[in-house]
Amino acid sequence: MNINGVVIDDTFSEAFSMRATRIIITAINYKWARHAAETMTGFATSVIGCRVEAGIERHLSNNETPDGRPGISVLLFSTDRKTLQKQLEARIGQCVLTCPTTAVFAGMYTEDRIALGKNLRYFGDGYQSSKYLSDERYWRIPVMDGEFICQETTGVQKAIGGGNLLVFARSISQVLLACEAAIDSMTALPNVILPFPGGGVRSGSKVGSKYPALSASTNHRYCPTLKGKADSVLDKNIEAVMEIVIDGLSKEDVAMAMKVGMEAICDLGKSQGIEKITGGNYGGKLGEHHFHLREIISE
Amino acid sequence: MSKCTITLQHETKHRIDMRWLGRAMQSQLSSKETLKHTLQIGKKTVTVGEIFSIEGKLSSSDIQLSKTTTSCDYVGYQLPASKILTVDGHVGHYAGAELAGGQLNIEADTLDYTGCGMKAGVLIINGNSGDYLGGAYAGQKKGMAGGTILVKGNSGDFTGDLMRKGLIMVTGNIGHYCASRMIAGTITNLGTVGENIGQNMRRGTLLLPELPKNMPAYYENCGRHNLGYLTLLLHELRKYDSEFRSLHPMRRRVQRYLGDTSVNGLGELLIWIG
Repeated sequence: MNINGVVIDDTFSEAFSMRATRIIITAINYKWARHAAETMTGFATSVIGCRVEAGIERHLSNNETPDGRPGISVLLFSTDRKTLQKQLEARIGQCVLTCPTTAVFAGMYTEDRIALGKNLRYFGDGYQSSKYLSDERYWRIPVMDGEFICQETTGVQKAIGGGNLLVFARSISQVLLACEAAIDSMTALPNVILPFPGGGVRSGSKVGSKYPALSASTNHRYCPTLKGKADSVLDKNIEAVMEIVIDGLSKEDVAMAMKVGMEAICDLGKSQGIEKITGGNYGGKLGEHHFHLREIISE
Repeated sequence: MSKCTITLQHETKHRIDMRWLGRAMQSQLSSKETLKHTLQIGKKTVTVGEIFSIEGKLSSSDIQLSKTTTSCDYVGYQLPASKILTVDGHVGHYAGAELAGGQLNIEADTLDYTGCGMKAGVLIINGNSGDYLGGAYAGQKKGMAGGTILVKGNSGDFTGDLMRKGLIMVTGNIGHYCASRMIAGTITNLGTVGENIGQNMRRGTLLLPELPKNMPAYYENCGRHNLGYLTLLLHELRKYDSEFRSLHPMRRRVQRYLGDTSVNGLGELLIWIG
């Protein structure tokens, strides 16, 4: 398959089942809400090293937040519920509670709930108080700028992590141009995040390493400086490869993000130096979810 | 499902214990079975069918109670979730007692102990309410433990006595000893409040439009603040069709007092500013 000169590889990207939650951070203005959101989603690129993958989903207007202030919704993904809860509490406690004027609310209402402010309340040293409003419990913790308001719990649901696209181009600037176009389209969608810096990944990994202590190592077959090696998958005109990793709340969300991402890349076309789009997989043995590129872009 | 109408056929000078209705709904009895239920009226034992008529199925979610008087106690007792009971007249004591998730609409006045021991649900009173609104049964230590009470008139003394959780909204005035022995929850009104508010108050919130005439000495002034929680509370207050909708949804500036200091209480008295 070839769209606007860009080859869509006949392969699939392999993704994994995860657990996800959404929270809403509000503050006196977007500036402070964003400070809190960016801090709490920092060092949350991959579950391998960070235990959690997190990102800003979107900005919320005053009408969309529980307390009528500007807000930001954040999605967090982890391999299991327990880790997700632990990471959520730690990040709220260190990054949101500490940030001036913020409040935090559940962004997801499912039967399965995890603690949000349930344990953070003890920071109040007995001066905290709770309020039940519409069957939801909120904690009010006295802090130096007034009160930190946090909902007791938030919902958690099954989700998908690790959907991906690999973009081959003739130069670094061209691959970045393609990825930035794709990332802009993908981040406009709800229910998905691109957890890596700016949405792009340059250090795509493979499972295992020659060093036994490492569970993952550089995916040397995609490294342009190793093109001469026998198992390289890169043609001689490829000088840069970039990956975009996608976490989403459902299979449909991930597939939609991949579709709009591929379309944005193909719109640039071969004339902009974009040669190919492919997907990262492990032969289908590790991840439960397979996203076939050609099927997705044809839908 | 069609509406069920229960009508009081014969007025009596004695008190009528309406707990039979709540129990019939909890036990999912049919209208026919319920009419055979016995009641004690004064010294007489009578069946429900002798003083009430029931038209329609009691399993209906929408129930109308007609021609009630202030003799009818325990109206809406343990009303379960998904039931809406509408009462077109006055009712007696203990209206909405132990309300368990349903909605009780009373078109006129209620007497004392309205909503006592209430657990969940909504109780709307279009008239006035007596003393101990949202309180506890005499001798018990647990007042209202959840749900919302809206009084579109005035409420009597000891409103929210021993209240543990939930929300009491009064559009008019509240009597003396409001929020006494309050443990948690929220009480708010738009009118005046009587004397000796918040005696032995441990926690909870009393939100008033203006300072009481005789501000108790057992409250400490904690200054003026913008409280974010008030936006959430206002959202809740404005859900109901009442004068509380006139409050600006983003209003959050209050004067805060903490007490009752004589019992090391952390109950808060908030007075709207501006």
